Amino acid sequence: MPINLLHRHVLEDHISGFETNANPNHLSVIRRPVIFSVLAHAGYEAAVAEALHNADDIASRYCSPSEFLAVSQTRGAGSVAEFLTAIPGASFVNQSDGFVLMAISGPSVRAILSKCLAVDLHPDTFGEGHSAAMMCCHVAANVARTGRNTFELLVPRSFAGSVFDELMEAGSAHALTRGFAD
Amino acid sequence: MASLITCPHCGTRPKEEFSIRGAAAPKRPAPAAKDEVWHRYVYVRDNPKGRVLEYWHHVAGCRRWLVVDRDNFTHEVFGVMDASDFERVRGVE
Ligand SMILES: [Zn+2]
Repeated sequence: MPINLLHRHVLEDHISGFETNANPNHLSVIRRPVIFSVLAHAGYEAAVAEALHNADDIASRYCSPSEFLAVSQTRGAGSVAEFLTAIPGASFVNQSDGFVLMAISGPSVRAILSKCLAVDLHPDTFGEGHSAAMMCCHVAANVARTGRNTFELLVPRSFAGSVFDELMEAGSAHALTRGFAD
Repeated sequence: MASLITCPHCGTRPKEEFSIRGAAAPKRPAPAAKDEVWHRYVYVRDNPKGRVLEYWHHVAGCRRWLVVDRDNFTHEVFGVMDASDFERVRGVE
């Protein structure tokens, strides 16, 4: 049973070779995050959004008024599913294998991302904790601000290689380094 | 072409994120309506110059259907609303 093939990350080939130390501008790929797509039933939108917002160790990513992504880097899929089951008016499905989670951070992060997406990321309009679905490197992605100079990107797995390459190209003028988070 | 559309759910976005899905003004007939009525709805459409109501699907964003009120000559956008709100307002009238 080729178990190590099953656990092979889709960006493994893009991050081969020797590892360099992370520069101030760094793109890290989270190896095995837990990602659930959550749909709120009609009339339950606000309640589901609030339950997700208050969850421990689960980040809620806004997609549309009735759709969210629940992302966890610490909890297991079973634990997240258990939590979601308890929310009234929510349907969910495990999408962990369908998305790739990347975190980009550093002093030049906005300059780098401005080459990849057409949304104003100024803290006044896109503050900490804010997330939204948007086009990033020509791919429908979900972008979240997790800190003043830190963003997290969720991209569909099959497009992750292309988005990753474009991000690295956009970051080349800012000495962007990359690597797996662990 | 209007290049920036302010989605009520996502904020101001480039038009590349959307897919334009046709006129929103014609009302869909009842399923059992006469063939002539359906023919008119499906094939006989106006092609106005000026202010139009259109369905825009926010494909790369919230994936909601929106109704954009815009001028196809001056490119001015007058308003954007969720298609479900549009139907609700239209149903009341
Ligand atoms: Zn939208």
